[in-house]
Amino acid sequence: MTARSAVRVPGALAVPPVAFLAVFAAYPLVYVIGLAFTDSTLARPLQRWTGFDNFRTALESQSFTGSLWRSVLFAVLAAAVQLVLGTALALLLRARARRPGLLGTLLLLPLVTPPVMVGVAWKLLLAPVGGALGGVLHALGLPGVNPLGSATGAFVTLVVIDSWQWTPFVMLLVYAALLGVPDDLREAAALDGAGRWRTVRSVVLPYIEPTLLSVVLLKLVIGFKVFDIVYVVTAGGPGFSTTTSTYDIQRTALQEFDVGGAAAATVLFSLLIGLVTSLVAVRRKRHEEVAV
Amino acid sequence: MTTLEATGETVAHETAVRSPARPAARRRTTGLTALLAVIALLAAVPVLYVASLSVRSRDDVLNGGLLPSRLFWRNWPDAFRAVDLGHYIANSWAVAAGSVVLTLLVAVPGAYFTARAGRRGARLATLVLSSYCAPPVVAVLPLFYLLRNLELNNTVAGLALVDGLANVPVAIWLLDGFVRQVPKEIEEAAWLDGLGTWASLRRVVLPLISPGVAAAALICFFLSYNEFLFALSFAQDSTAQTLPVLLSLFQGDKNVEFGQQAVVSLIGVAPVYVLAVAAQRRLVAGLSSGALK
Amino acid sequence: MSPSSPLSRRTLLRASAGAAALTAAGPLLTACGGSASAALDPTAKPDLDGVTLKILANQPNALSFEYLRRPFEEATGAKLKVTPVPYDKLTAKAVLDVQSGAGQFDVFMYWYAAVGTLAEGGVIEDLTAYIKAHKDIEESDFLPSLYDTYTRYDGKRWGLPYDGDTHILFYNTEIFERHKVEAPRTWDEYNDIAAKITKDARGRYYGTIIEAQQVPVILGCDFANRLAGYGGSFLDASDAPTLDTPEAIAAAQVLFDAAPHALPTPLQIGFDQALPAFLDGKGAMLDFWTDFAKRAQDPKQSKVVDKWAVTTLPVGGDNTEPRTSLDAGFGLAVSTASKQKEAAAAFVKWATAARQNLLVLAQPDAGADPVRTSTLNSAAFRKNSPGSYEVVRTGLAGDPLPWPTVPKAPELLQTLVDELALGLQGKQSAKTALANTQRAWAKELKGASG
Repeated sequence: MTARSAVRVPGALAVPPVAFLAVFAAYPLVYVIGLAFTDSTLARPLQRWTGFDNFRTALESQSFTGSLWRSVLFAVLAAAVQLVLGTALALLLRARARRPGLLGTLLLLPLVTPPVMVGVAWKLLLAPVGGALGGVLHALGLPGVNPLGSATGAFVTLVVIDSWQWTPFVMLLVYAALLGVPDDLREAAALDGAGRWRTVRSVVLPYIEPTLLSVVLLKLVIGFKVFDIVYVVTAGGPGFSTTTSTYDIQRTALQEFDVGGAAAATVLFSLLIGLVTSLVAVRRKRHEEVAV
Repeated sequence: MTTLEATGETVAHETAVRSPARPAARRRTTGLTALLAVIALLAAVPVLYVASLSVRSRDDVLNGGLLPSRLFWRNWPDAFRAVDLGHYIANSWAVAAGSVVLTLLVAVPGAYFTARAGRRGARLATLVLSSYCAPPVVAVLPLFYLLRNLELNNTVAGLALVDGLANVPVAIWLLDGFVRQVPKEIEEAAWLDGLGTWASLRRVVLPLISPGVAAAALICFFLSYNEFLFALSFAQDSTAQTLPVLLSLFQGDKNVEFGQQAVVSLIGVAPVYVLAVAAQRRLVAGLSSGALK
Repeated sequence: MSPSSPLSRRTLLRASAGAAALTAAGPLLTACGGSASAALDPTAKPDLDGVTLKILANQPNALSFEYLRRPFEEATGAKLKVTPVPYDKLTAKAVLDVQSGAGQFDVFMYWYAAVGTLAEGGVIEDLTAYIKAHKDIEESDFLPSLYDTYTRYDGKRWGLPYDGDTHILFYNTEIFERHKVEAPRTWDEYNDIAAKITKDARGRYYGTIIEAQQVPVILGCDFANRLAGYGGSFLDASDAPTLDTPEAIAAAQVLFDAAPHALPTPLQIGFDQALPAFLDGKGAMLDFWTDFAKRAQDPKQSKVVDKWAVTTLPVGGDNTEPRTSLDAGFGLAVSTASKQKEAAAAFVKWATAARQNLLVLAQPDAGADPVRTSTLNSAAFRKNSPGSYEVVRTGLAGDPLPWPTVPKAPELLQTLVDELALGLQGKQSAKTALANTQRAWAKELKGASG
């Protein structure tokens, strides 16, 4: 170990995270797997062994299989939109000053706002009758819209709301990373005659790439877990057009009380998230190897 | 984007004489400020809309406009009369603050390990992130037993514990990137200077990643402050219930009091906005004292 | 510098993991033992003085307990601590409280459709013996139209009715006069009126408001109201589904046909938008719970004061007898995890008595409805609900449609609204939607009995 680097990493540092994993991951995981293979209701978990029945039911359920695809689409779309917007905002903010200042804080507000209220505010804004958006469009002489009334509209609306809330998250992290970019690196690029945009692209962004990849990965997972705004704004509708897996699982567990089915769905869904995020993780690893 | 290139020159100039030949840079800064201000204003529309809702009577909520038809202040005293707001806010703060402390205690050493311990670190990182992938709904049951056994059910401490643990993966993954940005040479130099591993961790690495720690703390604070599912499940009554639960109670009513709900949201969110300002200052201060040059 | 040796490092790791696993496994083991609280003694005479009873309440009705608090304390010396939860969390919260062993509550207010789920899950106490032992409960006075539905499962009684919710049809008399239409008697007339008004009003307001969010207590009501009107049912006497009947298909069809003429767009409309729309005069009709009458007449929230009326829900098909549906509706039950079950039962008995029912009926914001024949027929209730009395009475005194109360009911109802939502979205016909539902229900119910 020490041959590769002069710096030793004490194993004791791993104790807190491993303890965390045991309490918060391993134990619930064992329990969830137990639920997934048994006939379990919320009131009477682990009644009898049912083999793969719950998995079969989940995979046969239209609402669940459809939700898997929608979750992937939502997470990827939201992460992409937010990465672009968040990074752009961070670059603008950094270009303006070394301090985020009041402006930076104002831009942060959406992230701090409770999702329940976010959902309510957006829903009222978009209400087809009496909503503020309709009113504004009307005042401009434009026809009214009802984004939540159509399948695509509702889905896009959720991506917009999620981006409204989470772009500041990406912005904050990228901004913090930008502050860590050594000035002489930029100066060197500038001396080499690189233009502004080229400096950003070929020096600044590569420098903060570990942070960017971390953020994308995290945002993907957070996007997969989207629940509150679906719950408040669309309740999964119209039809199933915004029923994401977390919403479907929550419904199965806490509205239908079929905890066994929900557990099986959780296992399947987690495998899917693992698959998608590992694609990003691989790139992250490659980056790491190059860097070392 | 603009000053990225300009920084080098400006620094040189400004340290010498304040050159009168820099109006272009100043104009650029002003332009950026204006652009960002417009974006910030647009981003603030939903929040301002909530403020506008807070002074609307019930029949004015869906009036088809961004502004109230007439000001209706009654929601404010009514909201205070309807609920013990201070109590919920105090709970929310205690839960969020407690959870952040716990999260950082686990995540700071954890992130150092994941970033620096080679393959073992990568393996741990994968495990930690995987643990974050599962939607938490189904884990509610086992966590319930855990809290009951610790006798922390329906307490602020119990909620802080669960939220704090829930945010560990987020924090580790945020910090991991920051640790990776710390050049290994700096650590090696410190090590060669005779600083022990722990000392160099504390005196060299920690200051360098402090903006990251601040950012992670800030984000975990917000996540806990707004967390809903655990708060709803593990706080049986008002003893430990937090603000989002209170907000959901408004929404759960057949007669939604949008105005009062808006009041509660604004009051609940105001102190957090203040925190956001203060924390951002620290974030910058932590960085400028760092030795990343 | 003291770098730990690889050995001690590994030992440390293993030790910490082991310790964590133990803390986690401990509760798992104890949890499997289940909660062992002493059974309810039906004849005990509990001393209520100084006792605090914790009640889990449905949020829209939570205020009703505020009116009961003082009288109860005066009568017994016992205090009430009420915890409101949103209606869609009520059952889950009760189940989790008992299942996890938290045992924070003594009394559960429950949605009657969940009575099977709660009884089967060991969440609520069997009150059969208690009710038999307390003649002053006056069982015969509970409305026959809801008493069994609200409280019976598996031949036993699990609670007492507290709030007898039904839907009635509200309409805007001003709009009706303007468009020269009369209150609909059939669902077909209802659709015609909705279509006519919506067309003529050109977006200024709409012929009807249909709230059809994809949750049982919203979209389920739309269907149930029509199913009731057509004389249909959810389950037959032997608990087999009856959703492929002509009545059920007609009910779904008439709902789908109405959607294009309703405030846009039904699938996204919940209480929060439907009620303001009606109170604002943006919609001409709305089927809703009876207590909405008090809001419609409150000038502080309503622009349609004295411009509305109510009528019984329309009928359809061969049925000509007005019939309502038991949409929502709540009972009170004793938690199996309560440590003071006798006191809890005493409160349930007291709170569901005629006198207390009348007391909450008199409060406009308590969200209360009659559960007893004597209170439904009382002069006081008639006086308190001038606009809606006859209509409410017709519904509750008649033969209203009960929703399923079998243990699988929550799952069944979700399946139903899922299929209906796809139909409303135009993705499948009424016939397909109900055929799918019928099949799913039959499978679930067979699985449950097997």
